[in-house]
Amino acid sequence: MRLGKIIGRVTLSKNAPALDGARWLLVTPYNRDYFPETAHPGDRKITSEPSIVVYDNLGAGVGDTVGFIEGREAAAPFGDNVPIDAINGLLVDKIHYRPLP
Amino acid sequence: MYLARVEGTITSTVKHPSFGGWRLLICQPIDSAGTAFGCPVVAIDPHSAGMHEIVIVSTDGKAARRAVRDNRSPVRHMITGIVDPKAT
Repeated sequence: MRLGKIIGRVTLSKNAPALDGARWLLVTPYNRDYFPETAHPGDRKITSEPSIVVYDNLGAGVGDTVGFIEGREAAAPFGDNVPIDAINGLLVDKIHYRPLP
Repeated sequence: MYLARVEGTITSTVKHPSFGGWRLLICQPIDSAGTAFGCPVVAIDPHSAGMHEIVIVSTDGKAARRAVRDNRSPVRHMITGIVDPKAT
């Protein structure tokens, strides 16, 4: 699971039938260069990591920090042949980050 | 599984139920020389690793799902061991 800030929403006009009614968030993942200490940094900074579209059923909004999971595990909550590989696992309340140089 | 250094922790109330009660540690992947590379990841921690300790992080969801006892959980990263500081 990586942390990232939600920078937008994605609305699909056509999608795979298994993904009907899904809610998609655009997330910029944090890395060592940009890892804010608060859950709502409030700036519009985007990291150098590629932004990712993440499935969401927890109701996160733009500006929130979320923990999203990528890979086959992201489709675990669903049945088989659901083409999802990034899911929002949690909304972050507090971050305590002390990186060593 | 790879080496990582614990560099933080997060708290969350709105989450997938399977994360309930688990410690969520921010782990920074490191190479054998100890220099960081790549993005920090958040892993569930059954071994109560301390801050800045070197740990082993597993990316296998199957073992993590068994640990959280929820076969439909999206959990993936899990701390499977703490490296003995004397042995490095």
